[in-house]
Amino acid sequence: MSLRFNLLKTSEKSLRLGKLISIKNEQKIILDTPNCLAYTGRGCVPHLTPDNLHNIPLVEAVNVTLEHFIDVQPPPSTQFPDGIHKFLNFEEYLVFIDVRDSGNLKPVSNNTDKYVSVYTCHGVRQVMSDSYIEYMNIYKPDVFASLADKITDEVPSLKRIKKSVDRTLKWLDDALNNVKVGIHVFGVLTGHNNREERIRSAQETAKRNVSGFVLNGNFLGNTSRERINVLKSSLDNLPSNKPRLTYGLGAPEDILLGVSEGIDLFDTHYAVKMTDAGHAFTFSLDVKNDLDSSKNQKTINLWNTNFCDDTQPLLVGCQCYSCQNHTRAYIHHLLNTHEMLASVLLMSHNLFHYTIFFKNIRESISQGTFFSKAEQFFKIYGDGFKQEKQEKEMIDSSTIILKN
Amino acid sequence: MKPTMNSALSWKIIANCSTTKARVGKLTLPHGPVDTPVFMPVGTQGTLKGLTPKQLEELNCQIMLNNTYHLGLRPGQELIEELGGSHEFQNWNRNLLTDSGGFQMVSLLKLARITEEGVEFQSPHDGSTMLLTPEHSMSLQNSIGADIIMQLDDVVSSLTTGPRVEEAMYRSIRWLDRCINSHRKPDTQNLFAIIQGGLNIDLRKKCIEEMVKRDTPGYAIGGLSGGEEKDTFWRIVTFSTDLLPKSKPIYCMGVGYAEDLVVCSALGVDMYDCVFPTRTARFGNALTSKGPLNLKSTKFAQDFEPIEKDCNCLTCKKYTRAYIHMHATRETVGCHLITLHNVSYQLRLMNSIRQAILKDEFPTFVQLFFKELFGGKDNYPTWAVNALKSVNIELLP
Repeated sequence: MSLRFNLLKTSEKSLRLGKLISIKNEQKIILDTPNCLAYTGRGCVPHLTPDNLHNIPLVEAVNVTLEHFIDVQPPPSTQFPDGIHKFLNFEEYLVFIDVRDSGNLKPVSNNTDKYVSVYTCHGVRQVMSDSYIEYMNIYKPDVFASLADKITDEVPSLKRIKKSVDRTLKWLDDALNNVKVGIHVFGVLTGHNNREERIRSAQETAKRNVSGFVLNGNFLGNTSRERINVLKSSLDNLPSNKPRLTYGLGAPEDILLGVSEGIDLFDTHYAVKMTDAGHAFTFSLDVKNDLDSSKNQKTINLWNTNFCDDTQPLLVGCQCYSCQNHTRAYIHHLLNTHEMLASVLLMSHNLFHYTIFFKNIRESISQGTFFSKAEQFFKIYGDGFKQEKQEKEMIDSSTIILKN
Repeated sequence: MKPTMNSALSWKIIANCSTTKARVGKLTLPHGPVDTPVFMPVGTQGTLKGLTPKQLEELNCQIMLNNTYHLGLRPGQELIEELGGSHEFQNWNRNLLTDSGGFQMVSLLKLARITEEGVEFQSPHDGSTMLLTPEHSMSLQNSIGADIIMQLDDVVSSLTTGPRVEEAMYRSIRWLDRCINSHRKPDTQNLFAIIQGGLNIDLRKKCIEEMVKRDTPGYAIGGLSGGEEKDTFWRIVTFSTDLLPKSKPIYCMGVGYAEDLVVCSALGVDMYDCVFPTRTARFGNALTSKGPLNLKSTKFAQDFEPIEKDCNCLTCKKYTRAYIHMHATRETVGCHLITLHNVSYQLRLMNSIRQAILKDEFPTFVQLFFKELFGGKDNYPTWAVNALKSVNIELLP
């Protein structure tokens, strides 16, 4: 198995266009960047059976979280002889594994020099560096993130931050020294909100033979601008020829900001979160200013009773399975009656739409129109700061209960 | 004059079993053909528990159920009519069957009261008193637009005895007449009568005689699967199929366990429905020819076989029991995968029944089926042995 990153284009202001290519046996998976890794829960894209996932052709890669199925160690799936791709039926996808949930980093007990504490369905468990590498050598993902001492404290001390950088580098060395040939490692950058430590983490990680970098944007500020400003001190110290994956930047304006700072890979937890809140994506990079301001919405809330007799698709013109086959009225009904198909159809649309958004971003970079389009996006959809707060409240107040 | 009916279906018997009363038929409904004996999965709220209509089509499902009571509440009669009926609403271009709504009133609502006018119940929304009459049930079902619709019947528990059973039977005949008279779309929707009469042979006979005079496009055997002895159940079923005209499809309501489907097909039933396969899937139970597997059990954590080796459903082709164990009752995908398999299992079973009848090898099929499902003769349910004996199949020679 080989993994290669080709940077096709860089411009002033850090804009990047690339290709992450994974080759194993006869199979070649090409992930054009900027792009996203599909978020999974217990190794499946939430709500989507594989046929429904196949209807979203631009999904090329998945992010699998070990803490979802490590309540028993070693996980029973390590007994499966044919690797994680086959076990999870992701043979056609690039599989990336990380220890902790990228979208839902719950603070758990402390980490130590020996292990990272994780949160499983049966409570807190500890993952040790050597067992983690052992599992990865059995699973054989395309890429995995090295074990990291992520800080979940509100206000960590400098001592805690330094310790986090040291441990994460030590565990990275463990991984690089013990991983089987053909499995690739992304180094995880830490340093929390301390500029010097972020720089040290980035520079030290960059010295090592990693295939890419993981930056965690969670816990680094209340707005995407704040988070990106912290991440910048890491990004500025990375070599340009390796891909950068970031968690915690999911809303479309976060992605636009992230792309403009040179981030290549994002995850789709945001699409899952919005699906579970009953929202469908309607934002567009090619938005024109509509006189009818109600059309300038980034999402529509399908719980809204106004949709009860609306026979339009979620988004007019969208080519996804849901929009080609079902109406807003039907999906509103499915939400209202707590039927699981609501989540299937919303997830199908939202993930499809998200991958198209990335495609449009890549095209705009290639055509040199990214910044003007991003500017128009912010102008029409308004300031990301306020909306972020509203969205959070919205989601908190309307969580779907999936009944039997 | 007793009213009689138009029919919007054609029904042709293609093969009869030379030993039992089993038969293979081709039912042609406004939304396409249905091969019988058929199991109809239940999509109560206009959706089959997490599956897309496309997935159902790929499983070769030709007909499914919707529940009138539920669709009448949400989205409501006015909306579903405005949105073009249930087929269009859920984008299902094959056949639908709706029940009358009466059964849910009685089973879900504690305060239902039955009068000659209809079923009186308290609205689950505001507690006000509402009345479901035969006319109202027809009006609702006409708005929903299913290919087969059911008369409102006076349902009593199959454990009830005494004059109430007789009253319910006669009332069901009177309500059938009111349904026939108020049915707005006999050219596109087929109204089925429902035979009542509890566990009393004489009442069943009387009911059949009267209802057959109305010449509805099909007949259902109602008031069973309510906790009665299985040995009584099959006797009522076989008594009914003997008396009902051979020229009409016969539907046994609420039947869905594999052994029941096989036995009732031998007794001459053509159609079935039950929530069991889809409901049990949500509790992590997968149906197999050797009986159900509870995939929540940790004994499957390292079982890397598919649910069933011979099954060609998406779940069995792509996933191991260990994978589904990880998801069962935790992720919706786990539930979707088992639901897909269970519906596939039911439809495959019905197809095997049809193929066996077509080849006139049904008795051998039944013997093998029981052997595999129950493991050994000691485990065969007595009622099934008796029922099959009545149609010349010896399970215990």
